[in-house]
Amino acid sequence: MSGFDTLKNKKILVVGATGGLGSAIARFLSTKGAALFVSGRNQEALSVIAQDLGVDSLALNLNNASERVSLVDTVGALDGVVYAAGVSPVAPVRYLKDAEITTCLDLNTMVPLLLVRDLLKQKKLNAGASIVWLSSVASSRGTAGYAAYSASKAALEAAARCLALELAPKAMRVNCLAPGMIETGMANAAAERISTEALAVHLKDYPLGAGRPKDVAAATAFLLSEAARWITGTTLPVDGGFSIQ
Amino acid sequence: MSLQRFIEDFEEAVEDIEPNSLTAATNFKALEAWDSLAVLTVIAMVDAEYDLRLKADILKDCDTLEALYARVTG
Repeated sequence: MSGFDTLKNKKILVVGATGGLGSAIARFLSTKGAALFVSGRNQEALSVIAQDLGVDSLALNLNNASERVSLVDTVGALDGVVYAAGVSPVAPVRYLKDAEITTCLDLNTMVPLLLVRDLLKQKKLNAGASIVWLSSVASSRGTAGYAAYSASKAALEAAARCLALELAPKAMRVNCLAPGMIETGMANAAAERISTEALAVHLKDYPLGAGRPKDVAAATAFLLSEAARWITGTTLPVDGGFSIQ
Repeated sequence: MSLQRFIEDFEEAVEDIEPNSLTAATNFKALEAWDSLAVLTVIAMVDAEYDLRLKADILKDCDTLEALYARVTG
């Protein structure tokens, strides 16, 4: 049994499917024959993706507990879950707003954990299911202006290690991906707070240059596939060599 | 909201700037303390104090604090 071909007809939920990475992941998984259910906040963007891929969808605000429960009620038994929703407030700590910190920790850390909790309680995860959470290279590095975001991703990775141990007896796996600079809307939004020159300097730290959403999508597909059956509780850097320096 | 208050906010935001050391005519980009972290911090300060999401590249168009204040309040 090889890699991506094992995704055919696998039931996979992609949360955050309207974002730059989430939509790329959904589209990539679709090409590998996965049976997708996509979710996101932007109804219009979600409809476009769902229609393009011919898959079921549900638009929701993940911070709303009842809407989250309705998602869990709606999906059938799953072989995989991808959590690609998130926000990235960029500001030195002394100018971080309460709401920015709360939203960041909620959406990046609490919600993926709560979502898996609810899926487990309702027995919506099949034996052997694979959970993939989108982290970031920021989780293990200090970067001025990214305290809330880095904290949220480091906590997510820590939670993944614990959850991986809890689910191993059911052959379920939990892993994170840690992308570096990827050309997406979130990266562009962050770039608005960093000068073009500073961004160009940062990009020089990537031996393989900036990444594309498809690079993250392929790594996600790998972690979801049978090819990664013995990989759990880890964080896979997808960063063009950024973190090895 | 006033230019003087904005200058004080700027002085407080950027590290190593002494209070009351800057004027409306100060070329802030020529300051020794002006670096990528200062850019990030001033943008965050404007967002927090003036409720405006300033793009980093807009700072390039301004030389003096008075010009920057005009962009913030304009």
